[in-house]
Amino acid sequence: MKRVRIVGAVAGAVFALVLAGCGSSGSPKPEASDLVGQNQVGTYQGAGLVPPQPRPSFTLSDTAGKPFAFGKATAGHPTFLYFGYTQCPDICPETVADIRLALTHVPAEISSTVYVVFVTTDVQHDTAAVIKRWLDNFSPGSKATWVGLRGTQDQIDAAQAAAHITVASDEGQTHSAQVLLYGPDDYAHVAFLQSSNEQQQIQHDLSIVARASH
Amino acid sequence: MRLPWPAVAAGVAVAALGAAGLIRGAVPQSLASGSGAPSAGPIVVTNAYVRPPVPPNDTAAAYFTVYNTTSRPDRLLDVLTGAGATAVLHTTNSKGNMIAAPNGALIPAHGTLVLSTGKGHVMIGQLFGTLKPGQTVDLQLDFQRAGTVDVVANVIAVGAPAPGAAAPSGAHS
Repeated sequence: MKRVRIVGAVAGAVFALVLAGCGSSGSPKPEASDLVGQNQVGTYQGAGLVPPQPRPSFTLSDTAGKPFAFGKATAGHPTFLYFGYTQCPDICPETVADIRLALTHVPAEISSTVYVVFVTTDVQHDTAAVIKRWLDNFSPGSKATWVGLRGTQDQIDAAQAAAHITVASDEGQTHSAQVLLYGPDDYAHVAFLQSSNEQQQIQHDLSIVARASH
Repeated sequence: MRLPWPAVAAGVAVAALGAAGLIRGAVPQSLASGSGAPSAGPIVVTNAYVRPPVPPNDTAAAYFTVYNTTSRPDRLLDVLTGAGATAVLHTTNSKGNMIAAPNGALIPAHGTLVLSTGKGHVMIGQLFGTLKPGQTVDLQLDFQRAGTVDVVANVIAVGAPAPGAAAPSGAHS
């Protein structure tokens, strides 16, 4: 538990730096939603990750109950990684809907290579069947490969730590809102936060990430 | 100032009707301040909308922007809705976590309260029926000073753009 907290704090600090690097000024208390979507000068419209974060390795259970080794299974593919929970009434469905809509707006030769990986932070309520049914609201017609993952609390905590995001608390209900996008080079150069502009950011950046060389 | 008892009783009756009728028409339009036509009272509510549940999740989320036109702070104490049996206000705390707000939410003098994705919402549970885009949901907002304000919120599909995100100019939440 102690180890996990430390990792979470480090991830939070790194993310604070990322936000600070977005170039907003004037407001003493900038909010994330005021910062994202305004990055028009860099390569990415999402929040650039400096340094880039390597694709993590962790193994969890997919919705068929089979082990899914994230690092190996998605290697070389543009991959969205998002931690959330299906009873989330707010950020989670909007975020996944933004990913889904972005996928329908990029060429099929890109979207067909993409993995969308949703990892539940609600170990207690999100069974394989629940996750599958929830993702089925989004996956049809997107051409991407959708994967829903679950595991024990320790496994989920470790997966979040491996992805360098803040480990969820409150039975998974308080969780990082970050969507990480790993590229064919197996690094995440950009992440996204929920905003009214998130779909456009993802759409824009996915095309760049997917076309980057290995 | 709270509304006199008859008005409160009427509001409760409206809520009950809304509960039965679920959608548009449960609140007389003369009482309703919908997303398109802000009321002229001390509290102006705009951009009200509801996201339907994503199955198997069975809760909906209502969003709106509250503008306090007065020079004194007010507080959103409670929300009733015709769409479901329960309505719980969730707001973001100082750590950025979204939590239930049993004491309501402050609206500063000449300030706004913005409930938007990631910042806060009213979680509607035990829905009385299926919510579909194009329908409307009645919301009754109870304020400490301004009393009851009735709002009509459009049901907007998950992922579809939310109505005008901008808060009234010069206002800070």
